[in-house]
Amino acid sequence: MRQATARVISNNEIMPRVYLVWLNSPPIASQAQPGQFVMVRCGEGLEYQLRRPLSIHQLDGNEIALLFTVVGKGTRWLSQCQAGDNLDLLGPLGNGYSIHSGSHNLLLVAGGIGIAPLVFLAQQALNQGCSVTLLSGTPTTTQLYPEYLLPPEVKLVTATEDGTAGRKGMITNLLPDFMGWADQIFACGPISMYQTIAARKQHLLKGKPTQVSLEVRMGCGRGVCYGCTVKTKRGLRQVCKDGPVFDLDDILWDELADGGV
Amino acid sequence: MNLSVQLAPKNKHGLLLANPVMTASGTFGYGTEYSHMFDIQRLGAIVCKGTSLEPRGGNPQPRLAETACGLLNSIGLQNIGVKALIKEKAPIWASWHLPVIVNIVGETVDDYAQLAGELDGIAGIGGIEVNIGCPNIKAGGAEFGAKPKSAAEVTAAVKATTSLPVLVKLTPNTSDIAEVAMAVAEAGADAISLINTLKGIAIDIAKRRPLLGSITGGLSGPAIKPVALYMVYEVAGAVELPIIGCGGITTASDALEFIMAGASAIQVGTASFTNPRAPLDVLEGIEQFMEKEGIDNLAELIGVARR
Repeated sequence: MRQATARVISNNEIMPRVYLVWLNSPPIASQAQPGQFVMVRCGEGLEYQLRRPLSIHQLDGNEIALLFTVVGKGTRWLSQCQAGDNLDLLGPLGNGYSIHSGSHNLLLVAGGIGIAPLVFLAQQALNQGCSVTLLSGTPTTTQLYPEYLLPPEVKLVTATEDGTAGRKGMITNLLPDFMGWADQIFACGPISMYQTIAARKQHLLKGKPTQVSLEVRMGCGRGVCYGCTVKTKRGLRQVCKDGPVFDLDDILWDELADGGV
Repeated sequence: MNLSVQLAPKNKHGLLLANPVMTASGTFGYGTEYSHMFDIQRLGAIVCKGTSLEPRGGNPQPRLAETACGLLNSIGLQNIGVKALIKEKAPIWASWHLPVIVNIVGETVDDYAQLAGELDGIAGIGGIEVNIGCPNIKAGGAEFGAKPKSAAEVTAAVKATTSLPVLVKLTPNTSDIAEVAMAVAEAGADAISLINTLKGIAIDIAKRRPLLGSITGGLSGPAIKPVALYMVYEVAGAVELPIIGCGGITTASDALEFIMAGASAIQVGTASFTNPRAPLDVLEGIEQFMEKEGIDNLAELIGVARR
């Protein structure tokens, strides 16, 4: 974990209100693992007290990419940054996804902007010789992550709630089709998506090991403030330090409020 | 240049800090979390996370809400409990050369007395900060700090069971903080720290309900600085004890304002979330100010705005 100044290489709105920013940060890029995140300082004055936790979205040499939706003032500020600007980052933070040694066929399940950490995971998994299928679900077609930004070897399957692209309905409905193929499942999306999966686990996952990345409001990003504590079957855990990736089975889903940002 | 301050001149152990910069309870963990980020032992003292007799799980999510220049929290004093603190943390602190002060919180006067007793004589613990002002727990906490009588009872009970220096941390959520300060001083406190967070609330207009899981929280950050500074100014005029100022301190200028208002030391809290090095930056800024102004001894600045 480092506090590092990162130079903005590019910042583009790739979907409505969703930005892809590339940053030059050798100290963070050299250590980053899929599923880890950085805490980004927003603004230069005193207005924002909390850094924004953002998953590491892609890695390329000394550069990392972040993908974020503008949801409030902090992310709006971040969306305005331009090539040549410097950002103050803490990272890489947290425990990321782990690919089991025997796993070859990996199923990645993205709910909306939850695709952010999964593209980095897909990159690494492909480098390790795994096969990757990515299920990407959004409310409508304009929110689907552009396929040209994915590694070409990724098999992409999409679903939209309104049926404007891919299969119509929730992405979770597609899960049973892949259980014969997948060795391991990696998900990132809203808590409501995880709750749906957890409630119909036997039907949807057929007992396949599943890791999920949680999004909870964070303060310090390093286990100090206890702002992001969640209840798990192994006791209380801090999402920033013990997560953000957990086994689906470890989280007490009924106890978790949808407090995501 | 001499930046040292003695925060417990009448206590047999004393509480000598090499400089006036401390970390505020709840914002710096147990110090160990930051020890590889910068040389934390350059600071004056570390105040650890509020600690209770038994481990506490804290409040439901969400626990944090950012407000303009401020932060609302309702952590609910999640902590490992005093037994784990003595076993796991104190031995690490014993090898450090700066004092670590344990912030304690209870639901009854007896809880506080027992906590103080258990910490007495433990190597690695330089003092106790009595938290009678946390707005985030249902029983105890801020209730004790709201009234002079109960604040004095807790202080006296703690003093009776420990020989360690005792700081009492006051809540701003009271009608007359100077009266509470005088009662605490009368009851034997070695020093007074202030302020804890201001009680507040935020509402999620999309969901039409309070944003925090436990509805109300405590406000910290630059938003509360003028209030905290005023209360330090007020209390410094009411008691003779050393005062530790806290509340929205982000820069050395902020810290110097508190010192000039009468604080002998200061605590950096919420600023550490934005900038983990904030306590060190504040210290270096104070040193630069003293050098520029030709001040050899920090004591020359304490309360200077009151004269």
